[in-house]
Amino acid sequence: MSERAPFLVGYLDNETNQSDLPPSSDVVIIGGGLLGTSLAYYLSKSGVETVLIERDDINREASGTNAGSFHFQIALHQLTPNMSESEKRRLADEVRLQVDAASLWDEIEQELDADLGVHFDGGIMVAESDDEMRVLKEKDVIEKEAGLESHILTGDEMRAFAPYLAPDLAGISFCPREGHANSLLVGPTYAYRAWQNGALFRTGCDVTRIERVSGGGDLKGKRFRVITSRGVIECNRVVNATGAWAAELSAQLGLHIPLGLSGLHVNVTEPREYFLKSMIQHIGRRLTLKQTHNNTFIIGGGWPSREEKFPKRYSNTWSSTTGNLAVALRVLPMLADVKLLRTWSGVWAYTKDFKPILGESEKVPGYHIAMVPTGFTLGPMVAQMLSQYMTAAPGKGKLPTEFNIDREVA
Amino acid sequence: MIDSQFDLVVIGGGPAGIAATSTAASFGLKVAIIDERATFGGQIFKRLGEGFAIQSPDDLGKDYARGARLIDELDQPRISKFTATTVLTIEANQIITSHPVEGVRSFNPKALVIAPGAYDRPVVFPGWTLPGVMTAGAVQTLVKTQQISPGKRIFFAGSGPLALAFSAQLIKYGAPVFKVIESAPFPSPAKLLGLLSSVNGNWDLAGDALRYRSTLLSKRVPFHYGRIIIKAEGSGRVEEVTHARVDRDWNPIPGTEVVESADTLCLGYGFFPSHELFRLLDCNFDYDETRGGFTVAKDHWGLTESSSPIPIYAVGDGTGVTGSYSAEAQGRLAGLHIANHLGSLSTTERDTQSKGFLKELNQRNKFQRAINKMFEVKQGIYQLADANTVICRCESVKAKEIDPVIDSTCDLSVVKSYSRAGMGLCQARNCQRQIAAMIAKRHDRSISEINFQTPRMPVKPVEIGKIADPSIREEKYFIQ
Ligand SMILES: Cc1cc2nc3c(=O)[nH]c(=O)nc-3n(C[C@H](O)[C@H](O)[C@H](O)COP(=O)(O)OP(=O)(O)OC[C@H]3O[C@@H](n4cnc5c(N)ncnc54)[C@H](O)[C@@H]3O)c2cc1C
Ligand SMILES: Cc1cc2nc3c(=O)[nH]c(=O)nc-3n(C[C@H](O)[C@H](O)[C@H](O)COP(=O)(O)OP(=O)(O)OC[C@H]3O[C@@H](n4cnc5c(N)ncnc54)[C@H](O)[C@@H]3O)c2cc1C
Repeated sequence: MSERAPFLVGYLDNETNQSDLPPSSDVVIIGGGLLGTSLAYYLSKSGVETVLIERDDINREASGTNAGSFHFQIALHQLTPNMSESEKRRLADEVRLQVDAASLWDEIEQELDADLGVHFDGGIMVAESDDEMRVLKEKDVIEKEAGLESHILTGDEMRAFAPYLAPDLAGISFCPREGHANSLLVGPTYAYRAWQNGALFRTGCDVTRIERVSGGGDLKGKRFRVITSRGVIECNRVVNATGAWAAELSAQLGLHIPLGLSGLHVNVTEPREYFLKSMIQHIGRRLTLKQTHNNTFIIGGGWPSREEKFPKRYSNTWSSTTGNLAVALRVLPMLADVKLLRTWSGVWAYTKDFKPILGESEKVPGYHIAMVPTGFTLGPMVAQMLSQYMTAAPGKGKLPTEFNIDREVA
Repeated sequence: MIDSQFDLVVIGGGPAGIAATSTAASFGLKVAIIDERATFGGQIFKRLGEGFAIQSPDDLGKDYARGARLIDELDQPRISKFTATTVLTIEANQIITSHPVEGVRSFNPKALVIAPGAYDRPVVFPGWTLPGVMTAGAVQTLVKTQQISPGKRIFFAGSGPLALAFSAQLIKYGAPVFKVIESAPFPSPAKLLGLLSSVNGNWDLAGDALRYRSTLLSKRVPFHYGRIIIKAEGSGRVEEVTHARVDRDWNPIPGTEVVESADTLCLGYGFFPSHELFRLLDCNFDYDETRGGFTVAKDHWGLTESSSPIPIYAVGDGTGVTGSYSAEAQGRLAGLHIANHLGSLSTTERDTQSKGFLKELNQRNKFQRAINKMFEVKQGIYQLADANTVICRCESVKAKEIDPVIDSTCDLSVVKSYSRAGMGLCQARNCQRQIAAMIAKRHDRSISEINFQTPRMPVKPVEIGKIADPSIREEKYFIQ
């Protein structure tokens, strides 16, 4: 790891960032979260002319507020109350996608030549009750079938393996592949490397409208006019990577994107001597818990935060704080005297069928969307897939049909 | 548990909070006063350490007597006192606190006074994190409450009326201060005249200042105007300090450096308001460097706009530093307004009773303004660090690690997420303004334009085990 991450952050020197929008570009990416920045990286690496436009600073929304977990095991939020055969198939598909993402994360620090706090020290999923234990076993079967290694441990075996856990838990599954990374650094590092590849960035630049240029369809002439708070730029292809805000711009083009939004709560504590290598999750309750390489504990797992009117950030609630911490304490009692330092929240966007929305619209050719619910885990990988699609010879690019952006989701 | 019995909750048991509490209670309101310390009195009325016998109250000065009188005002049946109780957050009308033994307690009163006071302004220069470099407040606590001197040769560097007061007090208690420097220039005749014209009604304060000056003179402690601390050095502890003359903006003038040997460097450059709670409530702010930077916007009753459904009163130094007399007057006015607002006091009666306090507040503020003119804090105070100076002490982040981030952003939260500056235990209380000043300089802006990082709860760190609540259950997840 040659450069220490803090030095990567000169990623956009102020002068370039503050200068005017270029009049045109082949691709304009809207949104500087992980999806936008990693796509800018992969496209620029292939020599595609790319301008990324972000209304705030890079990585300030979901991509810089998430808990940084790699969700490779099937987690609580993917489950349905009763698992039918088709549910199981859906889950197996999701696991396969997650396994693919793992290989990208294996190599990301090398690819970007930076320390991103990537840990692959495994993930523990705990079950408190017999019911939860049953789910754990069911999911274990699906995971194994999909090619993800995991182990079920109970009783003394569990206690010997993870002596720090509450001894009376019903059991755990352990997935050696799981891990986490520093979400504050991944997006900006992609941006920095993309910028080195020649991609242009403009922050503090709010896209207010996307217009189709009439007589479009001619690949040489530009098909879109993107209107921003800092001027207008024309382009051949637009990628909407605005996460939780993806529906608004799409609606201007007559496209309906079925997004659900939810504010999520995260806690961080003071540092303690490093001991917890594995990430911990709960199969029946909302919990993710990990010790970072700065020795603090990050505790999250999907507790809600309170909606606020943009641009105010969603606020944290007392009940989510104390509820989330109680689940953490139930699983890891030794946290009792560790001090909570701060909470924060971010807006999480998900699709109703929980699949990515990825690709080019058939209704509006040239218009692309890049969005995925577990976007920290899967973001870079789906961005890479989209980049491959966009750099393939015309008509040759392929993306999974179930990601189709024109699909109807109830 | 939610405590619904109170008309009014007051956060902060310093002069401002006490005055608001006792005034409101005297009109029949039921009031809870909350302070995280073990005793009431706030910053100014620090009590003696346990087992400590007071020889003569005079030794402790009139602050102590005044403090004792104020604290006695809290002995009214309608006042409930909560010490060692820390306010962690405010949600709408709910004030949520935690006590080390009794745990979490929430209040939902009809009105809220927030009087959290101020803390020593940190000044960042090479060596500021060396052991032996202490804030005036910390030294004062040691000397006043434990009669321990932190060193044998104390150099005092600071600015403003409190620099004089502090150093004189320390000397009076027997602490070996050998030199005092003040960054402001020797007061011009015009400024002195301005001060003189505001003395009426403030003879006590003016008298104090004279007494402080004469203490220094009689002990032959040199006092130099127009100089600022620029460096502290030593192996493992302060051994030498360097100071220099300053220009109008408090930038050190090269070639004027003087090195002195000292084992303790005491810093008294004024205070920063504790405004975390006001920020959580979306209050509006103005900017005044000499009163501590961001100050809470409010009317003369202390009433401030906020996102809370109940009226919020902002009083005392936590809203902008103006000193303990002004803090007390602000508290009284808030108390009267609340009593009227909640129907215990007629508007005519309120206005009659408030006249005296308003007059006092105006007089005190006039004096304070004249003083502030003399001791205006200049931006040079933020320009003392070099590339290797630690800016964020909690996370040990140096200036040279922050500079490249600042190159590409004006956002404190962005600086924080890339450099870790401001992520530690103090949650940026100590480094936030310094980083804001670095941003302001790089991007040619005024420091007042650089916004806070996003406010989040809890406003003070708290043990997980003290607040975790197993009775709260989340909704089950989702895909149906
Ligand atoms: C609290 C929280 C915890 C999470 N934990 C995890 C986890 O542990 N693991 C995991 O895999 N996933 C997690 N997620 C989900 C994951 O963070 C997101 O799926 C992912 O970051 C989405 O990336 P994105 O680039 O699509 O969106 P974002 O990061 O939100 O980026 C969208 C960007 O678009 C910009 N934008 C919006 N509108 C405009 C406009 N009109 N003009 C210009 N710019 C615009 C925004 O400012 C923003 O920067 C979590 C999410 C949250 C909120
Ligand atoms: C270190 C220091 C020393 C000083 N020494 C002198 C002096 O010698 N002479 C002089 O004239 N002036 C002195 N001052 C100035 C003087 O103390 C103030 O002008 C005066 O105390 C302001 O009164 P206040 O009520 O606004 O705040 P304070 O007196 O500071 O009272 C605020 C109270 O609020 C409490 N509090 C804050 N946040 C919370 C929370 N979240 N939960 C619970 N409680 C909370 C604090 O514990 C504190 O007791 C000093 C100030 C400081 C900071």
